[in-house]
Amino acid sequence: MAAIPMAGLEFREVRKSFGAVQALTGVSFAVREGEAHALVGENGAGKSTLLKILAGILRPDSGELHWQDAPLSLTSPREALERGIGMVYQEMLCFPNLTVSANIFAGRELTRGGRLRDGAMRQRTRALLEDLHLRIDADAPAGSLSAAHRQLLQVARALAFDCRILVLDEPTTALTDAEADHLFEVLEKLKARGSTLLYVSHRLPEVFRLCDRITVLRDGAYAGTFVREDTSPEAIVRAMVGRDLPPRRAPQPRPAATGPILEIDHLTRHPCLHDVSLAVGKGEIVGLFGLVGSGRTELLETIFGLHRPHAGRLRLDGHAISLQSARHAARAGIALVPEERQHQGLFFNLTVRHNLVLPSRTVGRQAIIRPREERAEARRLLETWRIKAPGPEARPDSLSGGNQQKVVLAKWLATTPRVLLLDEPTKGVDVGAKFEIHEIVRREAERGTGCLVASSDLPEVLSLCDRIVVMREGRIRGELAAAEASEEAVMHLATSVEEVRDPS
Amino acid sequence: MRRLWEVRELSTVAILVLEVLFFTWYLWPEGNRPHPFLNVPNGLLILKYSSIYGIAAVGAAVVIISGGIDLSPGAVIALAGVVCGGLFVEAGWSLQGSMAAALLVGVSSGLLSALLVVLVHLPPFIATLGVMGIARGTAFIITEGRFFDVSSLLVGGWRPLGIPADWVPPVVMIVLAVIFQILMTRFQWGRAVFSVGGNETAALFSGIAVGRLKASVYILSGLLAAVAGIVLTVVQGQGKADLATGYELDIIASAVVGGASLSGGRGSVIGAVLGTLIFGVLRNALPQIPGATFYDRLIVGLVVIVIVVMDQLLLRKGR
Repeated sequence: MAAIPMAGLEFREVRKSFGAVQALTGVSFAVREGEAHALVGENGAGKSTLLKILAGILRPDSGELHWQDAPLSLTSPREALERGIGMVYQEMLCFPNLTVSANIFAGRELTRGGRLRDGAMRQRTRALLEDLHLRIDADAPAGSLSAAHRQLLQVARALAFDCRILVLDEPTTALTDAEADHLFEVLEKLKARGSTLLYVSHRLPEVFRLCDRITVLRDGAYAGTFVREDTSPEAIVRAMVGRDLPPRRAPQPRPAATGPILEIDHLTRHPCLHDVSLAVGKGEIVGLFGLVGSGRTELLETIFGLHRPHAGRLRLDGHAISLQSARHAARAGIALVPEERQHQGLFFNLTVRHNLVLPSRTVGRQAIIRPREERAEARRLLETWRIKAPGPEARPDSLSGGNQQKVVLAKWLATTPRVLLLDEPTKGVDVGAKFEIHEIVRREAERGTGCLVASSDLPEVLSLCDRIVVMREGRIRGELAAAEASEEAVMHLATSVEEVRDPS
Repeated sequence: MRRLWEVRELSTVAILVLEVLFFTWYLWPEGNRPHPFLNVPNGLLILKYSSIYGIAAVGAAVVIISGGIDLSPGAVIALAGVVCGGLFVEAGWSLQGSMAAALLVGVSSGLLSALLVVLVHLPPFIATLGVMGIARGTAFIITEGRFFDVSSLLVGGWRPLGIPADWVPPVVMIVLAVIFQILMTRFQWGRAVFSVGGNETAALFSGIAVGRLKASVYILSGLLAAVAGIVLTVVQGQGKADLATGYELDIIASAVVGGASLSGGRGSVIGAVLGTLIFGVLRNALPQIPGATFYDRLIVGLVVIVIVVMDQLLLRKGR
């Protein structure tokens, strides 16, 4: 048997608390040199805190980091970089106004006597990009790159200097499946070359594809390290949530939709929507599947009145409606749970109570705020939708991602919409919250609400929806009943190119 | 914006009280001479001159909370004063008519800022910088270097609504501050201002008419600056084009000292008014300290920095 690989990076009894909240309660585990190690856990399990400690952004209250048995004390992000810890963040930090090469060397520019050595940096960048098989121009502004390329740019940035361990935090969140594939090819190549990877994700298929060992965190504590060959996704999920999830229900036969509630006729908005016609029935859950750029978000936003269409009509309950603004749409009974809850859904300067009642009060044309009534309503909403929050007067940043998403959902459900539009409703939320959000959507549909769910998460679309509409390049490419749809069939419609040339 | 009266405002009151106590102690006279700082006429004087800033600061605070900035109040104060004085003195309008015209001028300049921000999508800093130039320039064109002497025409013992003339500015300031504090904390409109300042995209996605809301904020700021301009004209007894020069920065500083965040979404109207009182006391008391004359701007600058740093430290601790 081969010698046990050397201990690379080791966490020893790392503890960290924020006020009364214990984010990490003594976490210990080791990443061996040359392995691909996954770190998984629900939101709020402590992954981000651990990563911030590794990146030198936070200092642990107690405990140590070791590199090859030597203590590693990190006091700043810069020091972490200099010690060979390369971070690739979820939010894709980049300077869109600077060139690719300037991005790679940002903060660590090659200089001679204070002058930038542009030529040398460009040359190093080209070598690096070639090494990663990236066809990117070193002089292109980073803002012109696709999401996947910007993510890979971060990988290149981490590798530009002596990188002993490459840490990736949910790197595929913003990527389409094809883009994620490209990223994986690069990562697998790095792994084959002997790089040490620490991969943080809650997408288990990715974890099982790439990683040799999987460490699970739960509620700030270490819940075990598993070897890929000896475990299963079910076992990992059990370790993550600390209990067995209720078995996924087979798509239940639900009462058939009784007539359309939302009808979209020949909706066109250049350049992203072309002649889109679609109907959603009362109590029906329609899935809208498409890759990034297929026009699904644009379609939902246009229905919600955020953009003016160039042509086409909308009918709600058989009556034509003109949607000049989100305000009109909301008053007509349409609600949109947007894709980016942080940016489009929540007010972090306001309390949870204000966040929860804002749309219903805006729709209701109510001029005066009645705090007592609002607090009661907020408390009721928190309870109904089982949102874990310290109370109605807490700020939304004290909530986990899943609970934040439930706040955005709840604030719109409080307007008792007749049509509920959801854009990636479970993006970046943990397994438990995802399950609950699906239950909420089903409950709404049972009430007779027409639900239109845009998602790039195929299993989600297949298990949640009654019918799946596939979009590509701003057009509807096909429609499948959930019962007869398979991942392959949906994916084929979403990616196939032959049909474009089809004159019909 | 939880309660009508928040902890943050109490800390501004505390600073104001400490400041008054300090000057009371520092300027304590020898023997039986009257106190130069702590007496009723001086208190009234401070209130009277602060109210010009205070009335405009109400509007400035609302603009800042909405995530914008208004650089035009100083110039609008002067223009409104000139219009009011000019119509009253030279065109022989009634006092009420002249005041109404001045208010209209304020609304118009606010409307111009609103159009530039909402429809032309100029950054508020640039839009209101332009309006500031336009308003000040118009005031100079109207006066051609003259000033309109209002004082001689005001009837002696003029008491609008039975309030002595000297008390009118503070009363106007307090009434407006209370009205706007209630609007900001107890009305959907105020919550929308906080929402837009906190996250404009989310506000749009929540069905708030963001454009209309922003327009209302700049128009109100113009209107309130015009009110301040009328008050200044009456207090000074004249309308003049170069009055209130540089007030805009003092007004913004007052709002910030009162707890407003220049990135929007945070602040209070009462806080901004209290902020103007803090500066009003400084402006009144510093010249009475022998040898401090040349230091007063420096001290005002230091006070702004110290208060805001304290605020940030407290905020960080609260997290």
